[in-house]
Amino acid sequence: MTSPARMRIGLWLGFLLACAIIVARSQYGADLAAFLPSSPSPTQRFLVDELREGVVSRLILIGIEGREQDRLAAVSRSLAARLEKNERFIYVADGAQDGLRADGEFLLRNRYLLSPAVTAERFTASGIRRGLEQQLDLLSSPTSMLVGNLLPHDPTGEMLQLIDRFQGQGGPDKRDGIWFSADGTRALLVAQTRAAGFDIDAQEQALAQIRAAFDAAVPEQHAEGARLLVTGPGVFAVESRAGIKRDAMRFSLLGTLLVSAILLFVYRSLRVLALTLVPVASGALAGIAAVSLAFGSVHGVTLGFGATLIGEAVDYAIYLFTNTAPGSTPKTTLQRIWPTLRLGMLTSVFGFGAMLVSGFPGLSQLGLFSIAGLVVAVLVTRWVLPELVPEGYHVRTAAGLGPSLMRLLAHAPRLRLPLLVLVIAVVAWLATRGSTVWDDELSSLSPVPVQIQRLDQQMRADLGAPDVGPVIVVRGDSEQSVLETAEQVGATLAVLQTEGVLAGFDSPAFYLPSIGAQRARQQAIPDAATLTRNLAAAADGLPFRAGTFAPFVEDAQAAKRQVPLTSQDLVGTGLGLKLQALLAQRQGGWFAMLPLRKVSDMHLLEAGLSKHDRSQVVLLDMKRELDELYHGYRLRALGFALLGVVAIVVLLMVTLRSARRTWDVVAPLAAAVLVTAGILVATGARLNIFHLVALLLVVGVGSNYTLFFERGSPGAADPQRTATSVLFCNLSTVVGFGVLGFAATPVLGAIGTTVAIGAFLSLVFAVILTARSPPPG
Amino acid sequence: MQWGVEPLMLQLSEVKQSQARFVERKYLKVLNAPLELSGTLIYTRPGRLEKRTLKPKPETLTVVDDILTLENPARNERRVLKLQDYPVLWGFVESIRGTLGGDIKALERFYRVELEGGPAKWQLYLAPRDRKMNEVISLIRIDGSKARIDTIEVQEAHGDRSVMKIYEDRP
Repeated sequence: MTSPARMRIGLWLGFLLACAIIVARSQYGADLAAFLPSSPSPTQRFLVDELREGVVSRLILIGIEGREQDRLAAVSRSLAARLEKNERFIYVADGAQDGLRADGEFLLRNRYLLSPAVTAERFTASGIRRGLEQQLDLLSSPTSMLVGNLLPHDPTGEMLQLIDRFQGQGGPDKRDGIWFSADGTRALLVAQTRAAGFDIDAQEQALAQIRAAFDAAVPEQHAEGARLLVTGPGVFAVESRAGIKRDAMRFSLLGTLLVSAILLFVYRSLRVLALTLVPVASGALAGIAAVSLAFGSVHGVTLGFGATLIGEAVDYAIYLFTNTAPGSTPKTTLQRIWPTLRLGMLTSVFGFGAMLVSGFPGLSQLGLFSIAGLVVAVLVTRWVLPELVPEGYHVRTAAGLGPSLMRLLAHAPRLRLPLLVLVIAVVAWLATRGSTVWDDELSSLSPVPVQIQRLDQQMRADLGAPDVGPVIVVRGDSEQSVLETAEQVGATLAVLQTEGVLAGFDSPAFYLPSIGAQRARQQAIPDAATLTRNLAAAADGLPFRAGTFAPFVEDAQAAKRQVPLTSQDLVGTGLGLKLQALLAQRQGGWFAMLPLRKVSDMHLLEAGLSKHDRSQVVLLDMKRELDELYHGYRLRALGFALLGVVAIVVLLMVTLRSARRTWDVVAPLAAAVLVTAGILVATGARLNIFHLVALLLVVGVGSNYTLFFERGSPGAADPQRTATSVLFCNLSTVVGFGVLGFAATPVLGAIGTTVAIGAFLSLVFAVILTARSPPPG
Repeated sequence: MQWGVEPLMLQLSEVKQSQARFVERKYLKVLNAPLELSGTLIYTRPGRLEKRTLKPKPETLTVVDDILTLENPARNERRVLKLQDYPVLWGFVESIRGTLGGDIKALERFYRVELEGGPAKWQLYLAPRDRKMNEVISLIRIDGSKARIDTIEVQEAHGDRSVMKIYEDRP
């Protein structure tokens, strides 16, 4: 080995070591926020933060099934008791706790500050009279026993006001005092983690605690056979990371084994087989290291995509080995095929380069990963691999294979017309399908298998967990200012509600009124003498015993002097939890959320809200907004992919200096991409971002085939060897990705299927469109 | 078979449907005079109970299985509650429905049950088991004769009391 060669290998090993160190220290993430724009509007920012760390992101829904109802209820109680003691959870609810009862004391003490019905009119003689008459009605009602003792304290019925408001929202079904699914087969609990949803490690530990608590509760309650189900954003993040890891491992291992078997058959040398994987491994390592350095953490999807790099990088080594004819050395082969290899690599780099600058962290990661990986893989193939090949090694191709391939090639051009017809038909068909070929739901990006998403939806419905529906977001500089704005918006909404525009709404100001509103209520209470006088006038002629309402006067005076409530006072109450879900301090200030129920007319709602400052009050339809964000994202990704295609065409034009040759390279790829998309759509898939990225990869892989087939290629000195070499490359790609197509993780499945079909078509179409007629004679 | 709770329950459970007028007096601490209400009570096996108050103001309470509906036409109000969410109310409803239906299981779920008297004239005493319910209701006494209920008296924990007399319509 020459000394420059030694230096090269030393450099390479040092580089690998550095990459390995970076990779070992990398952080891995899986939150979908990475697929949202990096420079969002304040509202988008809020949405993204809400997804990452909001209360919704911290909810874990727990189901227990598989035994009789009473056993399930017992396990549910035991599980809740165990988790309640656990530091990792802010709260756990199984339905047994009566939130209102726990808050009853608090509500009673603060009813005059909390009740929206408290106005000066309420405490005049006529106001109190109306209250008393209502109370008399209630006393004769069959449910009077529930009100009984409160009456002397609360003749104006503020507690009823509050209870109506806070309890009017219904709840899940109960059996044995525990939440159950409507059919009674599944006990339900909700837990809220202390850690944010995007903190996957913490979520994983919280999940482990739930499982451990369940495993302890089952034998204790003699409920062997009971099953635990958990869903929620945190669970999704944990499962998808694990799923991608598992699938990527399993399927790349299987793919690698199959490809290795094929290559071993061709190479008949274990050493050369191992060498083939050297560029791939180096590239993958470099890709992860580059992403980790540039972004601080590596997204799970990027990692999953790593498996796909094998598809292109493995080809470099195959080209090198299969093109080395007896009597020549890898070095001389490389001199011959290097320009083609380099151009193939550059084509892919240009394609993925567009992703790099897309402005979406998730896409940029994919772009950077691919570029770094491919560049390193091709450099290793060029400068390191030849030094490691055994002296005098060359691939013996099956004797009959070359000539029979050539005979096939000779007939291929006859298919040009049918191919043209096919492509036109596919384009026309896709055009009639219009935008329906795209899946614009953000959930399609989720790496979580569909059946788990379905379980989540079902448990959510059973629990009556709030839908992600329309919500009004109020932004401000301080807690008080957002509460005040929320109160103004609430007043508007209350009017709209009586007009039937919406069925109802929730607001943080219900649970914590602004200081201003609390003070106004205090001022509405008259002094003791006035109140006593008004009370006496009001009770005149009613059958109430004299002196009954003395506690009312006392309570009202106490409320008048009370220090207004702050969020601190609500800590530990059910109201506090509600408040926490609806009021948050984030980057960019304070946010209040007012979820709306059953909006019947969005336009009337918009119109009603128009009197508020639209920079502070924004109407958001969360699901629509998220799907729109994703739609925009997909459009931009498509745009950048097309930009990548333009860059590729320009690159080829400049390098090949011939429109005709560029056409020869590009036409089969374009045909392959279109027909692949057609096949995917025809088999019921709706295209998402992963299909798009996979199609880019098809261009990358396929460009190598067409470049080698293309007439002026310097790699084509020996047409038979070229044909065989490309065939093996294609076979390994189709097998490797075809296996990946069976993965349950949607990302991997989509990429696998798309690349397997696309790579195969690229080769077939390249043969049809660019193969030369065999030399005469 | 010796007479006791179970034979009484068996006897009560044979009544498929009953309809009666009622007059209820509520003796409340906060009021100078008792409130008097009257109306009809309809029970249909196994789970339906309807208490239709006609005077002084019309109001209807219907319980079907564990759903309680309160309708007040004067106030144009209709409330639907799940009994599971209101254990005290549930217990109270069960004291009437369980007795009318002869459902000893439902009664014993909420109350310690004691019986005095004989088949012709009996008194059933129901003492709430649950602490929370005990804070509201201290004792329910149901007087009856044969398979018929004559009076339901509810003693509330804070001194209020109600007595409901039932006059069964002869079909």
